[in-house]
Amino acid sequence: MNPELTDQTKKKIEEIASHYATKDAALLPVLHLVQREKGFISQQEEKEVADLLNIKPIKVKEVVTFYTMFNQEQVGKYHIQVCSNLSCSLLGADSLIEHLKSKLGIGVGETTSDKKFTLKTVECLGACEQAPCMMVNFDYFGNLDREKIDNILDSLE
Amino acid sequence: MAKIYIDERELEVAEGTTILKAAESAGLQIPHLCYHKAFIPEGSCRMCLVEIEGLPKLELACSTQVRDGMKITTTSESVVEARKGVLECLLAEHPIDCPICDKAGECKLQDYYDEYGLFDSEFDENKEKRQKRIEIGKNLLHDQERCVLCRRCVRFLGEVTKTHELGVFQRGVRAEVSIYDGILVDNNYSGNLAEICPVGAITDKDFRFKARTWFLQSRESICPLCSRGCNIYVESHQGFSRFSLPKRVYRIRTRENQMINGFWICDKGRYDYAYLDQERLDEIRMRNSQGSVTWPEITSHIAGEIGRLYHMKRAAHIGLILQTWLTNEEFFLLDKIFRNDVNIDKISFLDPAEEASDDFLLTSERTPNKRGAKELGFDLQPADWKKFFEDVDLLFVFASPIQDGLDVGPLKEALEKIDTKILFATHNHEINSSFDIVLPMSLIAEKGGSLTNIVGSVQNFSPALDAPGECRPAWQFFIELAKKLAINFDFYNQFSSMDDVREMMKKENPFFREVH
Repeated sequence: MNPELTDQTKKKIEEIASHYATKDAALLPVLHLVQREKGFISQQEEKEVADLLNIKPIKVKEVVTFYTMFNQEQVGKYHIQVCSNLSCSLLGADSLIEHLKSKLGIGVGETTSDKKFTLKTVECLGACEQAPCMMVNFDYFGNLDREKIDNILDSLE
Repeated sequence: MAKIYIDERELEVAEGTTILKAAESAGLQIPHLCYHKAFIPEGSCRMCLVEIEGLPKLELACSTQVRDGMKITTTSESVVEARKGVLECLLAEHPIDCPICDKAGECKLQDYYDEYGLFDSEFDENKEKRQKRIEIGKNLLHDQERCVLCRRCVRFLGEVTKTHELGVFQRGVRAEVSIYDGILVDNNYSGNLAEICPVGAITDKDFRFKARTWFLQSRESICPLCSRGCNIYVESHQGFSRFSLPKRVYRIRTRENQMINGFWICDKGRYDYAYLDQERLDEIRMRNSQGSVTWPEITSHIAGEIGRLYHMKRAAHIGLILQTWLTNEEFFLLDKIFRNDVNIDKISFLDPAEEASDDFLLTSERTPNKRGAKELGFDLQPADWKKFFEDVDLLFVFASPIQDGLDVGPLKEALEKIDTKILFATHNHEINSSFDIVLPMSLIAEKGGSLTNIVGSVQNFSPALDAPGECRPAWQFFIELAKKLAINFDFYNQFSSMDDVREMMKKENPFFREVH
């Protein structure tokens, strides 16, 4: 059982919902808020959000599973998202992903046992001009090579 | 009104009509999978693409509204090519396991492939393996390989039952229809899901692997299990010459009637059809008789019994126990013969107890024609049975069809003291042996007539099944009996069919003139 949403979060949700004609329209911004606060959206959060927005939990799950940017499980302290789409792949994303896998000792979609890193591939980060690129939490890193990746990982506490 | 042209046919349709509806009103079929008349168009399957003059791309017929002067082509080369493309993509992940699919024969995907496809797929890749029998409801299984993601089921549960048990999770090639957190589809309308599924993705456990659809004979009828009068198809199987089948009826399906039940029927009406075949009484039984007795013989015998009491001015000693399973026409004849001619006033009803309604279609009355009986002047108030059974010498009981729902308590003791007891029944039941004569009756599905539903809509129906054995519709017996009684011979001599009775009823009682 995860801790429940705090009263403060609930208040923020009410506030967001008040901007919309119907409560259910606030679903996306509310889910972003919950993910920011808790790191992920599990079934428990789906039900809590559904309750607050007066919709069925199944509606929340439809949205959560449709958008890949919502995490359904706890991610590591550093959530690494590497682009595997065309521009990045042409510039060697594949070998960088392999490098990350061996360096972290985990596969794509997995989290290190110390809960420090989660590695995922994503379709496009919208930054083809600095391909190959990745995101660590909300920070962008572009024009990557192995050395640069090693430096980034070393700098993360 | 807008003047439009579909495949060069000029049509006048109301402004705001969709192209698909306009085409259907003119008898032109535009293929579609996700569109269903009951729901707001969704436009996800892309099968209904049509060409509109002046527009650069093909448009969706299901959601595009007509405009005055619009010229639409539904059969051009580009339209046919687009349909082929849509089908190819749908079939890329479809298992094409039609030989073991219950939907085969009435599957839209199968029909459209036959019409527009018949091509070799250009996909070399293996199809994805998915789960093929996920339990999503008490009577429902979901096959994720066959599903085309039309979302009809999701919309039904969202818009009609508002129970929201199903959703679409994930997206793209991983998208799948599923239940949430193990909560099964559980409402009184779940059976409609298997019916609106355009492919064999949702199958009905009750019908699963029981019969191929093309062997079923589908006949119109009216559901008699409550007083809504939902329009249905009774689907029976004639069997094969080499072996006979254990039953006749394999499926009940909904029949659209916007005045009564819309597009739906409840699960009670859909699944509780075993009574049509099980424990049917199909022969005349007469206590102490040597050999078999025919209908004319038994009718003469009964007419003799009634006539004897009538002429002795002892008609007050005849009792009649009815149920509102009888049709309007039968109540009309009962009223004429027993109340008007013979002058019996000991008439009471022994209907099954009322149960909870579901606030949609299923009513609390568990017989189909209470309203019709009332309109024909019968009093449905519960009887004082003690008073009723005082000095009854001749008793008629009409008990049908599900005697388990019948409270035989008041009957049992009283029966022992009555001289002659005659039962009109459809099923075998322990109480049958307490009667001197037991006559096999046809069920609603086996006869013609009309029923009046809870809100007073009168609906005609014809037989959907042949009556088994010696079963007869009650109205037929009534006419024969009345002719033999000969109290008012000329009146009954006009009747040779159900229609004759109905016409007379309509003439005498204006309530029955408007038929839905």
